[in-house]
Amino acid sequence: MDGMILISIALPAIAGILLLLNSFMEHLKASGTIGKEPVVKKTTEEQLRSLHIFTGIIMAVSAGLTMATAWTGSRSLKLFVLLDEIPVYFQIDEISKLFATIVTIIWLLAGFYAFVYMKHEGEEKRYFGFYLLLYGVLIGLDFSGNLITMYLFYELMTLTSMPLVLHNGSRESIMAALKYLFYSMCGAYAGLFGIFFLYRYCDSFTFTAGGTLNMAAVSGHEGLLLIAVFVMLVGFGAKAGMFPLHSWLPAAHPVAPSPASAFLSGIIVKCGVLATIRSVYYIVGPGFIRGTWVQYTWMILTLVTVFMGSLLAFREPVFKKRLAYSTVSQISYILFGLSLLTPTAFAGALLHTVAHAVVKCGLFLTAGVFLYQYGLTRVEQLKGMGKKMPVTMWCYTVFTLALIGIPPTAGFISKWFLAQGSLQSGIHVFSWLGPVVLLISALLTAGYLLPVTMKGFFPGEEAEGMDFKKEEPSPCMLIPLIILAVLAVLLGLLPNPLIQYVTQAAASVLQ
Amino acid sequence: MSEIFMLIVILLPLLGGILVPLLHFKSRRSMLIYMETVVVLTSGLMFLLLLNRPEEALTVFRFTGNLSITLRIDGLGSLYAGLVAFLWPFAMLYSFEYMKHEHNEKSFFLFYMVTYGITLGVALSENILTMYFFFEMLSLVTLPLVMHTRTREAILASRTYLYYMLGGAAFAFIGMIFILTYGTTASFVPGGVLDMVKLDGRTNMIPVIFVLCFCGFAVKTAMWPFSSWLPKAGVAPTPVTALLHAVAVVNTGAFATMRVTYFSFGPGVLRGTGAQYFLMALIVFTIVYGCSRALKETHIKRRLAWSTVSNLSYILFGVILMTPMGLTGAMAHMLFHSFMKICSFFCAGAVMYKTGRNYIHELDGFGRKMPKVFTIFTVSALALMGVPGLCGFVSKWNLAKAAVNSENGLAYIGVAALLCSALLTAIYMLTIVVRAFFPGKDFDYETIRDVEDPNWMMLVPLLVFVIVMLIFGLHSGPVMKLLEEIAADAVIG
Amino acid sequence: MDFVRNFPFISIILSLFSGPLSSILNGKWAKRLNTAVISVIGIMSQAVLVYVLHTGEEFVYYMGHFPAPWGNEIRVGVLEAFMAVFFCVIMLLCMMGGIAERQKEIEETKQNLYYIVVNLLLCSLLALIYTNDLFTAYVFVEINTISACGLIMIKQNGRTIEAATRYMIMSLLGSGMLLLGICFLYDLTGQLLMSNIKEQVQLLAVSGQYHIPLVVSLGLMSVGLAIKSALYPFHAWLPDAYGYSTLSSAAILSSLVSKGYIFLLVKIFYRVIGFDVVCDSKVINVLFVFGIIGMIMGSVSAIKEKDIRRMIAFSSVAQIGYIYMGFGLGTEVAVVASVYHILSHAATKSLLFVAASGLTDASGGSRHFRDLTGAGYRNKLAGVAFTVGALSMVGIPMFSGFISKLLFAQAAMGHTHKMLPTLIALAISTVLNAVYFMKTVIRIYTPVPKNPDEATVNVLPTTECRNISAKEQPVKSVALFLFIVLNLILGLNSEPIIRLLEIGINMFG
Repeated sequence: MDGMILISIALPAIAGILLLLNSFMEHLKASGTIGKEPVVKKTTEEQLRSLHIFTGIIMAVSAGLTMATAWTGSRSLKLFVLLDEIPVYFQIDEISKLFATIVTIIWLLAGFYAFVYMKHEGEEKRYFGFYLLLYGVLIGLDFSGNLITMYLFYELMTLTSMPLVLHNGSRESIMAALKYLFYSMCGAYAGLFGIFFLYRYCDSFTFTAGGTLNMAAVSGHEGLLLIAVFVMLVGFGAKAGMFPLHSWLPAAHPVAPSPASAFLSGIIVKCGVLATIRSVYYIVGPGFIRGTWVQYTWMILTLVTVFMGSLLAFREPVFKKRLAYSTVSQISYILFGLSLLTPTAFAGALLHTVAHAVVKCGLFLTAGVFLYQYGLTRVEQLKGMGKKMPVTMWCYTVFTLALIGIPPTAGFISKWFLAQGSLQSGIHVFSWLGPVVLLISALLTAGYLLPVTMKGFFPGEEAEGMDFKKEEPSPCMLIPLIILAVLAVLLGLLPNPLIQYVTQAAASVLQ
Repeated sequence: MSEIFMLIVILLPLLGGILVPLLHFKSRRSMLIYMETVVVLTSGLMFLLLLNRPEEALTVFRFTGNLSITLRIDGLGSLYAGLVAFLWPFAMLYSFEYMKHEHNEKSFFLFYMVTYGITLGVALSENILTMYFFFEMLSLVTLPLVMHTRTREAILASRTYLYYMLGGAAFAFIGMIFILTYGTTASFVPGGVLDMVKLDGRTNMIPVIFVLCFCGFAVKTAMWPFSSWLPKAGVAPTPVTALLHAVAVVNTGAFATMRVTYFSFGPGVLRGTGAQYFLMALIVFTIVYGCSRALKETHIKRRLAWSTVSNLSYILFGVILMTPMGLTGAMAHMLFHSFMKICSFFCAGAVMYKTGRNYIHELDGFGRKMPKVFTIFTVSALALMGVPGLCGFVSKWNLAKAAVNSENGLAYIGVAALLCSALLTAIYMLTIVVRAFFPGKDFDYETIRDVEDPNWMMLVPLLVFVIVMLIFGLHSGPVMKLLEEIAADAVIG
Repeated sequence: MDFVRNFPFISIILSLFSGPLSSILNGKWAKRLNTAVISVIGIMSQAVLVYVLHTGEEFVYYMGHFPAPWGNEIRVGVLEAFMAVFFCVIMLLCMMGGIAERQKEIEETKQNLYYIVVNLLLCSLLALIYTNDLFTAYVFVEINTISACGLIMIKQNGRTIEAATRYMIMSLLGSGMLLLGICFLYDLTGQLLMSNIKEQVQLLAVSGQYHIPLVVSLGLMSVGLAIKSALYPFHAWLPDAYGYSTLSSAAILSSLVSKGYIFLLVKIFYRVIGFDVVCDSKVINVLFVFGIIGMIMGSVSAIKEKDIRRMIAFSSVAQIGYIYMGFGLGTEVAVVASVYHILSHAATKSLLFVAASGLTDASGGSRHFRDLTGAGYRNKLAGVAFTVGALSMVGIPMFSGFISKLLFAQAAMGHTHKMLPTLIALAISTVLNAVYFMKTVIRIYTPVPKNPDEATVNVLPTTECRNISAKEQPVKSVALFLFIVLNLILGLNSEPIIRLLEIGINMFG
């Protein structure tokens, strides 16, 4: 028993639920019942401040607790038996630590950013309620120690993150949220399909590096199991925006409030990656699918997604949608790394997870700044932004460079590892096809992100009449951006500790 | 306890029901107290019986030869009896509030209580004739409930209802006769009773007869192509739709298929025959078909009814796997689905009762005005989808486990169908939830100002069901162990 | 106790002579005489039944104490005695149930004629049951036909006269075929007494001589009686005859007259030809096929019907189909089932006729479905009785129809080839029965809408409706009540009856 794990999951979750209840009661009172006149009440500044203080404290405390839990010794916690002798079980290993840390950092920054940003969206209480709740769920997901626990939190994550998408309540956003919900559910159920079959052929569902398949039981049923694993990969790929279940992403991200889309793009999609890692490397075992049609098909799907995502982003005029397509493409870099099943590629995938989380979060927050300050959504409207808010634009540029993979930024390191892993993998065509596609995609990335920078700083002739008054956003929004930008560079400049960490993790998984 | 109590427990609600129109009640409240007392007494007695199970069977009546009406409590029967006995008092409470605005409540409650007795009769049947008897009776006593409103629609629906019910029984009859003729006994014996010596040379008949018989009983569970009666029967007052057409009647069908498959024909004879594959194909199709029809439906009760069609086929899917695990899964889903579906129906009923709205597009923003009902509805929706932590997941897990372990190619497709249906369930349930809680930013709450939560008589049952769903979902160990024991007993050979 | 041996003869003579006697009485006294005669005969038959059961073997009564072949024989076994009792009971109840209609529909001066006809009918039925002489049987078949015509015609309107003519023609066709068959047999065997014929036929069957004439004769007799009892393709006369005649006539015709012929057929199978020989011939397959088609087609026609009486009449076609299907199965068990169905159908069908009339009375005399809306509320007892009859017809446990369905199905199980067709036909026929009977039940329990609108306009009765309480027609109510009881007895206490039938059939063979 280790209560720390439980506390770090329960604290934000409970705080979130309390906030939600409170907001609900307020609405109930405000809208009035029979015989009572509705009491129309605006949220006052004061209330807002106390909300921020409350949320801030909870955020800080739970983040601290989580980090303490993750990094101090190995912990595990068996809660109770959910079904069939399978308990709700938490266990902290390298992957958990890494993911929990990323989640915490991004969550804190995006949350901090939202304090100001959400003024513009309204319904802050509900937003922060779900935001806190979601954190608890995510930490649960990261710490989960067996497949069923993971599935449990995976489903909960979908359900709790959906309200963030439909936050503004427009018809479009509700439709997008439903689309998000159904794609995620579809993915989750496809994953569950795999889980059902794995249960028959696995010794246990506890995550064990190298897999738990019972080879004696499997013999004779390889074909069936491969199909099941493949379905599972496609299913968990849905959350990670892998082709063919990717289309929720460009629908959901743009309509969500910007900090929410930052969080979605930075973290939620990574949970698909986490689920894939857990099921492939910790349950099925890389050995089982290496060299089979499943691996090749998986690779093809990821490469198709990488290419397609970039291409679509390139053609997309709406800024946040463009970023969303970019996410589709970038996450599949990670999945491609995972599909190679070599230590280097695995390390590359983990590195890219970190890099992309930081960078994409930053990009969405930048988009949020434009939206918040000027209500600009389309790319061509962003001309001259660099003159109005240079700091923001510089941060944006850093992110862009990092995403393209220009040294010395985070993206370079991860892509390097990915390419190297691919070349080393020795899989005939893919060993060189992979890097080629990555390269093309990087070029496309440059193509769709850099113009914003260029037009931003050099608006050209037509912008001569524009008013270039400096209007940086409030520090509350600016500081997270700067921190993220610094992180993106730092990870590229001093990558060694991280590289060491991930290579270690990779080595433990792939002997 | 003495065997005679088995008869008493059936007769008590029967007589109690018949007395309702005969007695004169001073007020509505005293009628409630009377009925609730009878029902609670029956349930209490039933639970006492389950705890001290009489070993011997009780022969109530003898038709001819070995054909008799005999009662006995065994594992499967006690599960069903327990389920029914648990649900009825709550449903009674709910329906009492619900029926406030409807006419003719006395005749309604008469049949409502009589149905209770008959359903217990099905559960306690010792042999196939007894079960058939109560099976037929159930069709007849529920008929007045379906046509309760006496509108043209209700009359037409009740006709369809009756044709399907009696038609199903007619085919089930064939199986019954087969067992009576070629079985060693008419009783339900784990592992089946077919006498291979008597059957000499006619074994090729078994699958055909089994298919006819299974389909006959499965009419009550609304298996495709016999499913259209269920949505139509939704014209009945909601307590009927909820308790009978989501629990008692349809589960009786499922229960009967369990009986004939595991206790009369015997899984050993049927496993691997064409009959198994044929029926499984029908069932798998129904699972998906029901959901997709639910998706198209805009009337809330009909949508739930189609959902029932699909979910009941989950149970049949478990039954037709013909393994102990399959039966476990089937029983689990029978148990859990009852709670989930009755809960969602009661929520729908509460909406109809308080506001008279029937269509899903009319429910915008209700989540804020009827928070309790819709929170509960959300929980039941999540349970139906199979979100872990709620009971729907447990049964789905067990069914899928059984299917995977049966190593039957069609069963694998069944697993896919289960998940496909889960996805569709998510779509058709959550659209309601999202609509209710997030009507959109321009929604004017003034238009639904008169909407509010119902009183305690409706909320208490709902709350109890939610708690049960949570308990079963989080701590399914003991109940699953119980079911596994029952299933292990039932599948010998 | 041996005095009881005279009872069968006495009962035939009693009913025969009470006919002419009625002609000099007025309607009222003729009715009383008729009731008394039926009751006395019923009691006497009961005594005979007890006697036969007690001695455990059948006895032969030589009329005028001349032994065969000069004298005429009566042969009494358990089955005969039981049938006589049962027929008396049903007839009594039918007469009771139809009392009001008779008074209304038959001219005052002709009331006593009706009782003449009924007495003659009873006489001929008893003779058909008891006789051991094939030619005597033929004679009484004719008497039966004529009195049945009288029953139909007595109402004296165009419809009934047309129906009676139809009935007459079809019946005579049947009788002719029966006569031809008897002639063939006489040619083959030189005997007319049943037991003697049987000895000869057995010899012929063993030696294989005259195989074809034997089959032809059997076929002629079967088809002849099938026409008279309205087996499917020969049922054209039935709906009109049952549908338009006065109530007690319809009830008696459907439950007794056709059953008398069927019982004669059973006798021919067992007593005259020998059941083994019958089973070996292909004739029973023909009966089987027509029986099954009848089960389905009768119900289909009934579904299309909008007139409740005609619907019930068509249902008879289906039920007769059941009985022939049982013969067609060609096993002892199946014959028991068929005979049981004779009982259950007789009890149920007359109940339905009487109940239906109660419902039509409450709906201004109209028999159209539309006018019957809500009739079950207006005449409560008739509604309940109709429901009981309908449930019995559909084969719901507790009612008589269930037991016969059960017996049929069990009989079918023993058969390799005919099993599946029989079972499926039974199931389909049950569904069809459910369709038209339960449709009616739902209809009579649909309240008349108070504020009719577009949707409900076609369920509104067009006729004047009134409430009828049970006290208003006491005799009919008693009859209905007794019918219900009879139905429940047949449904719940079937075991002794079945045992009785089995003993009877064994005595036959």
